[in-house]
Amino acid sequence: MNGREKGILDTVERYYKDYGLRAKDLSAEGKKVIGYMCSFVPLEMITAAGCIPFRVRGNIHEPVTTGDTLLETIVCPYYRSCFDLSAKQKYEFLSGLVIPHGCDSMVRSYSVWSYSLPFSYFHFVNIPTVCAESSFEFFGAELNTFRKSLEKFTGKRITDDDLAQAIRVHNEYRDKVRALYEFRKADPPLIAGSEVTRVLTVGSSLPIGEANALLDQVLAEIGRREKTLLKKGPRLFIDGACIDNIELIKLVEEIGGNVVADALCNGARDHFPHTDVGGDPVDALARRYLGKINCPKTYRENKAGTFEGDTATRFGDIGAYAKEFKVDGAILYVYKYCDPFGFEVPARKAYYKSIHVPLLHLEDVYSGGTMGQLRTRIQAFLEMIG
Amino acid sequence: MAEEQKEAKPKKRMTATQAAASIGPLVKEFITGTLRARAEGKQKLAYTFIVCHHEEILRAMDVVPVWTENFAGICGAKRDAERFLQRAESLGLSRSLCTYALCGIGFDQWREELGQMPPDSPWGGQARPDVMISTGQILCDPRSKWYQASQQFMPDVPIYNMDLPYPMFQRDQDHRDVWGYYHKYIVKQLRGLVSFLEGQTGKKMDYDRLRELTDLSDRTWNLIDETYELRGAVPCPMGTGDAMNTMVPLCFMMATQTAYDFFVNLKKELEEKVARREGEVQQEKYRLMWGGGLPAWYALNDFNYFNSKGASFPVETTYRMVAPLTKMDIPDTQDPIEHLAWRWLGYWTFWYDKAKKRPGSEPDVERLINWIEEYKIDGIVMHEAFSCRTWHVGLIWQLHQLAKIYKPIPVFVAGKGGTKEKVYRELPSLILESDIIDITSYSEVDTRNKIDAFIETLESNRISKAS
Repeated sequence: MNGREKGILDTVERYYKDYGLRAKDLSAEGKKVIGYMCSFVPLEMITAAGCIPFRVRGNIHEPVTTGDTLLETIVCPYYRSCFDLSAKQKYEFLSGLVIPHGCDSMVRSYSVWSYSLPFSYFHFVNIPTVCAESSFEFFGAELNTFRKSLEKFTGKRITDDDLAQAIRVHNEYRDKVRALYEFRKADPPLIAGSEVTRVLTVGSSLPIGEANALLDQVLAEIGRREKTLLKKGPRLFIDGACIDNIELIKLVEEIGGNVVADALCNGARDHFPHTDVGGDPVDALARRYLGKINCPKTYRENKAGTFEGDTATRFGDIGAYAKEFKVDGAILYVYKYCDPFGFEVPARKAYYKSIHVPLLHLEDVYSGGTMGQLRTRIQAFLEMIG
Repeated sequence: MAEEQKEAKPKKRMTATQAAASIGPLVKEFITGTLRARAEGKQKLAYTFIVCHHEEILRAMDVVPVWTENFAGICGAKRDAERFLQRAESLGLSRSLCTYALCGIGFDQWREELGQMPPDSPWGGQARPDVMISTGQILCDPRSKWYQASQQFMPDVPIYNMDLPYPMFQRDQDHRDVWGYYHKYIVKQLRGLVSFLEGQTGKKMDYDRLRELTDLSDRTWNLIDETYELRGAVPCPMGTGDAMNTMVPLCFMMATQTAYDFFVNLKKELEEKVARREGEVQQEKYRLMWGGGLPAWYALNDFNYFNSKGASFPVETTYRMVAPLTKMDIPDTQDPIEHLAWRWLGYWTFWYDKAKKRPGSEPDVERLINWIEEYKIDGIVMHEAFSCRTWHVGLIWQLHQLAKIYKPIPVFVAGKGGTKEKVYRELPSLILESDIIDITSYSEVDTRNKIDAFIETLESNRISKAS
């Protein structure tokens, strides 16, 4: 590792460990930092309003304490952790928070967040559950409500040009993330899965312009790597919701596997789809967030009329990534109490079987305390496929 | 096999009203009715969910609704859900998911595997559907995911997933500013259901009949409200235990004359009881509200236990899935589909205006406050069912917020210089924990110990009340 590489990756490491460090500084300078949960929040709208979108993150090493005095323990453990940290004022620098209709845990706890936290701005974005033409029309109207709400909060009008510009820079970021994933195609990969997660986690805490600049530097540094520090090993795919702590991925790496691709909310699910440019920006955002983000919460009609046809449509992106990144096996990592993913486990298992990718299904509780058990199960799985 | 074993039959709960006692045969009849319809093959059967404002459409099209939540509840009440839950688990579904759905999926998988009903199925079992109507709403993920998961075992059964959102309560927003586009969307979704059913049944919708059924439902809504208001009498003539029976016509039989007649009779029965001052509990000492959470269907006897301590339940938020249309601020329309959409929005936003007027309030909290006053409530009981986020997330916070903004109990305390001072205390509350149908999460001893301790608190408040 040369000195320059160490420099940018050290910055990533610092921002990852002290999550929100830069946002806190920007807030102190008077910038409005808007927290958000879930990939369904249209970040372009926040950027176009002149604010900084900031993904609220949990911490698997921090026991949930204050959060449990206000929110039930049957809530998704990832979400509970995010609420707990917020309730402990970890994110006190935020000016506001946006929560979408991503799952029951988000919807039912919206009042809990909005009454318990001291932010001056809260907004709920209703996301349709189905993908009909009328759903896009409805979602467009809902996005315009979000736009007005932000305009009222900031006192700044959001023009279509502002939105088009925001769409352009966020698409640029998505291009850069895609380029980062390209380094995972080598065997062994040129970049570790834990490094990718670290970079993407940090990226979601920065203003989009700074996130783009950071990615440029990371891409340049990884591009200069003459050889990888990783060893050849089973190439794994991770499927699930949001994994914003690197421990699970690091665990895989420690026992000889390489995480080379994913279908995660803070990974490919969110970063690969682009927003269309050139047309009505609100309509384009509605189509990206509802139509292109492949979340199990969104119902897509079974047009094939067969189970196999249905799973091929619903999970086809997984099959395509598995092929593109030459995966040897997959881990389906589902949080306890997660209804959208939980109900898909049998169908996902069947799909992986149909594409001949061995699968390990893990149910976990977003805690550092479970890593020991996970190690045993992952080790056995790697031995089986390795 | 463990899954073949059935649990011990529960003791029958004592009801306070004749109407509640008549529910068992009524439920059995509509379950067996679906089996008869399946055998005859003249009508289409639709798996579907309660509280979707679509019963009128189904009945106008002569489609037989198969209420899958109801069947799971019956399995729970008969303590015969475990074998279906275990089936679902064996497919890879976590026990932490909605156990209604797990029970239903486990049952479907078993029935499809056998090509016939699983052995000793409760009340003959759940009929195979021709179609499945899901509802992706703003709440309840399982409603959108359950049938999709069941379709793995019945790929020939099509799904229509109907989106029914409503505007969330946001303090800085008037819901009327946005409900125009919500209404437009819901109307399109309901019309989509009509054309889906027309395609499946080969029949055209009879809009005059739909209008008649919608009118019948509206009248039933208002009648239910008038009937349940009678429970405000002291002593309370009918409690939540009974309301967990009378929810059957309310949730599963709307848009039928039977449901309307049921509530006509219930209203008459309650009026007579009120005139005779006949209560659910004769020596009524405490009046409680079931303030949230679905019941543990296998443990409805706990309501009798409360009654044995002098506690009655004049009101509950659970399954009160109607609001008086006479007090609903929604536009008039002659189009029954448009009306259904407005009624949907009117129901879900019913408490919004009132909540805005009280600092720190919120619709669910506001409803608690209003009913505490209307039904003269002394304490609140809630139930946290571990497998359901839809109805059970937010309950702890509602109690917190309620305690923060509303303190209705006057008590005397010793003030400065030994003088008596009047202060106000919040209502005591109790949260019970178990599940809707998973009996393995329930302990009768622990539950009743909690109830005993709660009753002691109520008694202490009763003694020190300064009013």
